[in-house]
Amino acid sequence: MAEVLLKNVVKKYGKVEAVKGLNLCCNDKEFLVLLGPSGCGKSSTLRMIAGLESITDGEIFISGKKVNQIHPSKRDIAMVFETYALYPHKTVFENMAYPLRVRKMPKSDIKTRVERAANILEIGSMLERYPRQLSGGQKQRVAIGRAIVRDPKVFLMDEPISHLDAKLKGYMRGELKHLHKELNQTFVYVSHDQTEAMSMADRIAVMNLGELQQLDTPENIFNKPASQFVAGFVGDPPMNFLPCTLVTGAGQWLIEFKQFAIEVPDRVRALVLEKRLQGSGRHEVTLGIRPDNIILKTEQTKSGDLPGEIYITEPLGSYMIVDVKIAGERVKVRSDISFPGRSKDAIFLELDGDHMHLFDAGTSYSLIHSNNGRHSTLSD
Amino acid sequence: MPKPGRILKWLGLVAFFLWTVTPIVFMISASFKGTGDIFKLPPTGDWPGILKLLFWFDASLVQFKSIFEEGTFFSHLLTSILATGLSVIISVPVGLAAAYALSRANIPGKKHLYFWVITTRMAPPIAVMIPLYVLWRGIGALHTLPGLVLAYITFNLPFAIWLLRGFMDSIPRELEEAAYVDGKGRLGAFLEIIFPLIRPGVGATVILCSMFAWNDYLFALILGGRGAKTLPVGIGELASATQIHWGQIMAGGLVMIVPMVVLGLAIRKSLVTGLTMGAMRG
Repeated sequence: MAEVLLKNVVKKYGKVEAVKGLNLCCNDKEFLVLLGPSGCGKSSTLRMIAGLESITDGEIFISGKKVNQIHPSKRDIAMVFETYALYPHKTVFENMAYPLRVRKMPKSDIKTRVERAANILEIGSMLERYPRQLSGGQKQRVAIGRAIVRDPKVFLMDEPISHLDAKLKGYMRGELKHLHKELNQTFVYVSHDQTEAMSMADRIAVMNLGELQQLDTPENIFNKPASQFVAGFVGDPPMNFLPCTLVTGAGQWLIEFKQFAIEVPDRVRALVLEKRLQGSGRHEVTLGIRPDNIILKTEQTKSGDLPGEIYITEPLGSYMIVDVKIAGERVKVRSDISFPGRSKDAIFLELDGDHMHLFDAGTSYSLIHSNNGRHSTLSD
Repeated sequence: MPKPGRILKWLGLVAFFLWTVTPIVFMISASFKGTGDIFKLPPTGDWPGILKLLFWFDASLVQFKSIFEEGTFFSHLLTSILATGLSVIISVPVGLAAAYALSRANIPGKKHLYFWVITTRMAPPIAVMIPLYVLWRGIGALHTLPGLVLAYITFNLPFAIWLLRGFMDSIPRELEEAAYVDGKGRLGAFLEIIFPLIRPGVGATVILCSMFAWNDYLFALILGGRGAKTLPVGIGELASATQIHWGQIMAGGLVMIVPMVVLGLAIRKSLVTGLTMGAMRG
């Protein structure tokens, strides 16, 4: 069993609190991605798991053992660094063999393990080269190879493909996911790229400003975001947000946006009643709707259709992004590439009620979806 | 037709070369001549005759014989070797440890500490000579070899820290961290990963510290005195109020520069690599 458990972990750099009371669990053999913008605390968290940063407060457990005071060399972890950290004075073979030599493994076993890892990563022909003779992608594979030769309990990866070009990144995402399946070990992966997280992770821990926003599967992170931050961070193009007023009461609920009113679907009303708001009144909210969940029309066919004006269209090969101005706000809509509209054309937007999100304007937490995932335990 | 700027550049280089090398050539030539032959000049207008006097003459070892057999030159040489060697053997490893700490550790006031280390090299030696003399006399280190070694450490150690810290800073921390994760402790990571990478820098530091100590005159004259007389001081005494032993001075000078030249040539590649290391990002 190789689960990683963080209990109320805090990390301070002087007066700056980089990680604030983090509770997180990566289950055995899971591929967990720590996702968030720069400065959110994800790399600090990974480095604390590795033992490369001290823990200000809280506890970290690896395979049930508390590791707060244990040196990185004794935690049975392997790490792939963002800058690869290959030893420049050693060949590829020596780089990969180094952790095994440190453990005084017999030379024949070292050779077997290194060659096996090199074959998996398709770098068998480069074993006598030095890091300066390798491309970025090759260096990254050597760094991964150095990690997998040891057969550790936990693999830690700190944005290992962030410096690769787009095409190679796409290729390596698939390779890393395949590697995880083949090795069947626990992976904790740090990234600021939501595409990487969505495509590779079993679960994603979205972080912001040192706090865990949501811990859930990629599907739920995308479809049931627990906060406006999560909703806006995941998805490309990002979710549209409109400042609105939710009018509740005994009759039909309405979402008022500027001079417009949209009927709240029964599904949304039920979820809001179940999770959050009770009684009648006016509540300041933020309406969230993804570009894929808006239909463009040339004329109004429903009372809730919002009138707007096309600001600009962005053809992107197989689809088009249409930027629409509505009552001073800008909304992006994903449309078919054959969409005929042009700038300044009048247009109507129908918002798909089944994929509408409402966030509290004050706290920015979802009024529809639970954020219980922030407090995930081993059994989650 | 070469451009005027290029001609000027080459003229400048030739002039600088002649200005630098001519005294050394004269010294080498003079050290292999008898005293009477050192200051011989060719007839007026005979310019090729100068070259002949410098390079085409009957060589003699009389000057070397004179300084090694008749005087205390050998003991001065030994004192120089010991004082230089010991100060470097102490300054460089201690400086390396301090540089590592200043580069890697989270020490409160690290910047101020480092600045203080550098400032000890800012004052000219003559400015600190009187306080040092009083201090050395107080601790009984005056005119002793250990006292001279300690004096050399006072300027070699800050220099070593300053130079080596730059080399340490050029090595990414991730390399050490990778070594920790791979199973090494702090010392092992330093010896097996960091040190091989900064070896050229350490070599450059050894050379430069050796040169500073070997060539020092003031500290040796005042703090070393009679009890720890080094080559520069010993050779200086060959010029007295009544007589100047030019031949012996030339031979002594040659003996003095040979070790530094040999050392520099032996590790010149490391010296250049080391001195330019900090400028490149790996």
